[in-house]
Amino acid sequence: MRWGLLRAAIASAATVPMIPAVASAHLVNTGLGPFYDGISHLTLTPEDLLPAIALALLAGLRGAYAGRLALFIFPASWLIGGLAGLAWPTVGTAPVPIAVGFILLGGLVATDANIKPSWVVVLAIGLGLFHGYLNGAAMSQARLGALGLGGIVAALFAVVALVAALVVALRPPWTRIAVRVAGSWIVAVGLLLLGWSLRAA
Amino acid sequence: MIGDHRTHAAFSARAMIRAALAMVVALWPVLAWAHAEQGRAAGFLAGVHHPISGLDHVLAMISVGLWGAQLGAPAIWLLPVTFPVVMAMGGMLGLLGVHLPGVEIGIIFSGIVLGLTVFAEWRPPMGLAAAIVGCFAVFHGHAHGVELPAGASGLTYSIGFVMTTGTLHAVGIGIGVIHRWGWGRLALRASGACVTTAGLFFLWKVLA
Amino acid sequence: MKRRGGLFPLLAMAFMLVAAETAPAHEVRPGFLELREIDPNTYSLLWKRPTGGEVEIQIAPVVPEGCRLSTPDRQQLTPGAVVVRGTLTCEGGIAAKTLRVAGLETTITDVLVRIHHADGRLESHLLRPATPSVTLGGLTSGLQRGISYVQLGFQHILLGVDHLLFVLGLLLIVSSRWMLFKTVTAFTAAHSITLAIATLGYASVPLPPLNAAIALSILFLGPEIVRAWRGETSFTIRHPWVVAFAFGLLHGFGFASGLTTMGLPRAEIPLALLLFNVGVELGQLGFVILILLLERAFSVLEVRWPRLAARLPGYAVGTLGAYWTIQRTLILLGGLR
Repeated sequence: MRWGLLRAAIASAATVPMIPAVASAHLVNTGLGPFYDGISHLTLTPEDLLPAIALALLAGLRGAYAGRLALFIFPASWLIGGLAGLAWPTVGTAPVPIAVGFILLGGLVATDANIKPSWVVVLAIGLGLFHGYLNGAAMSQARLGALGLGGIVAALFAVVALVAALVVALRPPWTRIAVRVAGSWIVAVGLLLLGWSLRAA
Repeated sequence: MIGDHRTHAAFSARAMIRAALAMVVALWPVLAWAHAEQGRAAGFLAGVHHPISGLDHVLAMISVGLWGAQLGAPAIWLLPVTFPVVMAMGGMLGLLGVHLPGVEIGIIFSGIVLGLTVFAEWRPPMGLAAAIVGCFAVFHGHAHGVELPAGASGLTYSIGFVMTTGTLHAVGIGIGVIHRWGWGRLALRASGACVTTAGLFFLWKVLA
Repeated sequence: MKRRGGLFPLLAMAFMLVAAETAPAHEVRPGFLELREIDPNTYSLLWKRPTGGEVEIQIAPVVPEGCRLSTPDRQQLTPGAVVVRGTLTCEGGIAAKTLRVAGLETTITDVLVRIHHADGRLESHLLRPATPSVTLGGLTSGLQRGISYVQLGFQHILLGVDHLLFVLGLLLIVSSRWMLFKTVTAFTAAHSITLAIATLGYASVPLPPLNAAIALSILFLGPEIVRAWRGETSFTIRHPWVVAFAFGLLHGFGFASGLTTMGLPRAEIPLALLLFNVGVELGQLGFVILILLLERAFSVLEVRWPRLAARLPGYAVGTLGAYWTIQRTLILLGGLR
């Protein structure tokens, strides 16, 4: 039975990062209107999805209370950041801060850092505002507007709820290790991304 | 152990994993159809492919997993958590063009040394084992970093790269599970000998 | 008894957002363009533009360069579509020509393009708002055509907010896993039956009254949800699968509108029907699983919704059901006048 669980965990761990990459795209047109475009943007864009997963993993490791806080505060700050981005857009992305965010969040997950829930809130607000702003700016260029942003935030809410609850529900000790391994993968991706963006600069 | 006490929550978590997987598998091709940006998908595939493109890399990664399984806790879980990070650090140095001395020779010797440790079931202090593995991780990562093709999509490439590397470790650890049986230990030591032989062969090819 | 009272307000809000956006054009009926080679370089053209929805869809194929289109006064208004027949003459054949459907970018509709070559080859493309043009001449395999049917069905259910809302209403009433299974299965079986009947041409329902009836089915669930909240019982609460089956028959006709206006070749209808239905079921199943997973996630995270927030999904079902009923009845009456 336990090996069945292990297989499931490995499979899911392998699937999660694969999803965005297999069909990566920045601002996709699903042909289903801006709301679905927003949903698919989040699910197909690793720059946004990976930090969201990392934050959810971190909050889940810290328990149901932290998970609840992240569930509501993270999408809300993302929305506020996104509205700001829609109102005052700028051009361009910020790969270095994004990579640093990967490393920071992934590192906290990998070390299973015993931070207080208030720090989870701080991270959720900071990360949400930052990525939300970038999203909003991109949305205003792609003319997806507030409805596209709504799609992103709704998808974000679902992702955080599912991932955080999954981690909270994990009981066997080795499953926490699996979560930490996922965190270390995110750190590794962040380090490589940092190398890429510094080389390009 | 808590894990053996199967709570309702743990059960449903498993159900959640399965259901989520099933849903993703079912919906993804339809949803993502025709939306793949060529460059990014290509970057991902290149990233997946790169760590398995050289047999010397593959054997070294798997032996790391084998050795971790032989050493048991805490190495068996410390390893998969730290190795990708250390390797990515090497990769970052390579990307930035930082020169490291002896990378080539380090990679060739990594296979030989790791194979020998698995063969001998050598149990050094935890710190020493971590230093050895960390050293080799930096070398391998650096080599990959230098070789990275220009113009590939950095992020998706990195994701593919990290995933494959992690999976290779998992394969090693998975094989290492046989360590709990007597015949399994023997088989592990034999595979260590095979890795060393292969490493010596690579060395001979470079020297010849 | 009641288990699904504490569902998630955000989903309801998401619903309203989508509803606000897509409700005017909730019937995503694709257009259909068929070219049949009758002589070398000459093709008979059949163009069906969907009409009769809540907004007019202004799309039209653009005659490729080097081609001439003659339409000898043959525009027909059929229920649900404007049909144009004509003859397209292209110097040097149609291969490598670019076909574009003007206006498609601004819609959420698809256009299915099929070309019957004289040598029996069949070429098929699905034009979408993101890709409103295609270069002709490529061969399409049966697999590609099949995938485009699945895709059509999947999109149809995702954009059919009214159908999804009906399913959500059922989930709010259902109180056990077994009952959930029975209900979803009954709904699926019922709409598959009428989808097949309508697509195979045995029966058809005019769109305006059908839309009004579908809206009414959603409105019907509103009071039942309130009853379930109060711990009261009713026939619907005891046997939701019966209601799901009965109204499922209605919704099946709605799904069929996504397929029947295309005027598919007879031989391909069964396959198209099956694959379109597969797409619809995939979308519906994904939606149900997502809701169940979210519900479980909220209970693991011990989320306690405020009373009003917990009831928002129920209110969304009732309110939108009522709104659509009034709106579509007005359209129906306007159409009769």
